Amino acid sequence: MLNIQRLSILTQFELIRIFKTKNGLISLATFCAVWFVLLYYMISSATEIIFSDGFKMVASTLFGALGLSALLEWPVAEFAIYWLVAVYSFPLFALFAASDQTCSDKARGTLRFITLRATRSEILLGRFLGQYIIIAILIFLTLLACIVLATVRDASLFIPSFKQAATLFLELSIIITPFIALMSFLNSLLSSAKMSIVMSILFYTVGALLIGYVQFQFNSGEFLNYIFPGTQISRVVSLQNLDFIHYLIPLVQSVILLFAADKLLKRASL
Amino acid sequence: MSLKTQGNSPLIHVENLTKSFGDHIALNNVSFSLNKGQPIALVGPNGAGKTTLFSILCGYLLPTSGRVSIAGAEAGHEKLFGRLAALPQDAQFDPRFTISHQLKFYAQLQGFNRKEALKEAERTLDLVGLSETLQAKPSELSHGMRKRVAIAQTLIGSPEIVMLDEATAGLDPINAREVRELVSSLSSDITFILSSHDLSELERLCSQVLYLEKGQLQQHQSLQNEDAQRYITLRMKQSYDNFLELVQSVSSVVSVKQTQSNEFLITSAITQAEEAPVDLQILQLCHQQKWQYSQLTNGKTLENQLF
Repeated sequence: MLNIQRLSILTQFELIRIFKTKNGLISLATFCAVWFVLLYYMISSATEIIFSDGFKMVASTLFGALGLSALLEWPVAEFAIYWLVAVYSFPLFALFAASDQTCSDKARGTLRFITLRATRSEILLGRFLGQYIIIAILIFLTLLACIVLATVRDASLFIPSFKQAATLFLELSIIITPFIALMSFLNSLLSSAKMSIVMSILFYTVGALLIGYVQFQFNSGEFLNYIFPGTQISRVVSLQNLDFIHYLIPLVQSVILLFAADKLLKRASL
Repeated sequence: MSLKTQGNSPLIHVENLTKSFGDHIALNNVSFSLNKGQPIALVGPNGAGKTTLFSILCGYLLPTSGRVSIAGAEAGHEKLFGRLAALPQDAQFDPRFTISHQLKFYAQLQGFNRKEALKEAERTLDLVGLSETLQAKPSELSHGMRKRVAIAQTLIGSPEIVMLDEATAGLDPINAREVRELVSSLSSDITFILSSHDLSELERLCSQVLYLEKGQLQQHQSLQNEDAQRYITLRMKQSYDNFLELVQSVSSVVSVKQTQSNEFLITSAITQAEEAPVDLQILQLCHQQKWQYSQLTNGKTLENQLF
């Protein structure tokens, strides 16, 4: 049984790690700087270009070819570009940001102090939730910045921006979940954050090649793609005709990865 | 083997415990029971399996086979949170947080609220004489100070069992003595299990000893002298001619054995009421012969008992 109080303390400690330590604040500042550049130079400029009269036809053809015509209909144009950047960058960011959930503590022996006071399941879930909340806060902040950007351009976009931001926050929050869970799993298996990142890259490259080979040889095995977190992204990017399964896939992937991570961590030598 | 139990069930019960790492057997069918009470020494040469046993008792490692029960719970079970504390040999604090922050975090996990957790951090640091390090980060502390802080974390709350793996290794003599005094002063409330290579330290503190060698429990005994014979360990400042013959001639001395350079284990029969005690007779002999002795120990040293 999970003790909610201990779980909450472990989760809060993760938040302190990012928001109250020097290293955490440096990471945060780097993130803000990157997103400032993205918002100010890329999203703002791209919005002006794509929605300019001269480029409208080209944009319509391009977005149409990619099945993203619906994005051009969004009332707040900045969010269309934001979404295209965020839907692919946040999962990648989640992999890196959550790459050290238990590894350093395991290598340093700090986990030995903690396991005398909290179960391994609580540590795993506490760290996962902590990382999830941190990334969700960062998503929220980027959305807030995007609202400011849109409102500065046109003050009447303030209310529609909030509605759009809420939708995108929900979508992104669901999309990042299995990526953080994947790192929880790799952290339970491996002893360093770097190795976890390397393994995640191999998982997506060699794993995809192997599955492609199996599918080619046996002319079936489409379901194997479901082992990859983010497999549904290409289908949800248009945010059209979304059914329950698109939300279920990342949630089921997360539950399976966390369950496997729990089994591994319980048997791990500390 | 097992020590006499004081209550209904032993505090720690280990049954047929085996731990293998591949082909290497670190612990081989180890069984023992320990009761609440005076500190217990865990002794053995390097590679004997002490840290493996320590790690299994703390729940850091799973045994290959066998059973461990601590205060009626499995090793690592949440029932032991706050009841069993440990100083693992090489465990380090998180370098990013202050000592205060980490001790508060551990105290909160043990059920203290924020305010109480801070008080507990202050109290335990005070116990190890490091109150001034509350706001320091681990990297600002010396090795010895970090070790004492790690001992402080074992004292959070009211643990019943505290396991210290090489607690005084790397400490200067003054700090090592302070740690020993701390263990001694708390041993009426806490059962300490101490692993160390310093046998004289364990001898001073412990009344029970577990001796492991090549993964097997070789001895499990009380350090009390319960034999019909009596032992005296005499350490001389230098060697003297005829020492062995003259000590052997003391009435009731059964045998004299040189255990180390200038150290002798004297075995005597229990003296009769009308006779002077054998230790007094030996001291008289030293006085008469103008022999300088550096130490006279009542009983065998731990080293002599084990080896």
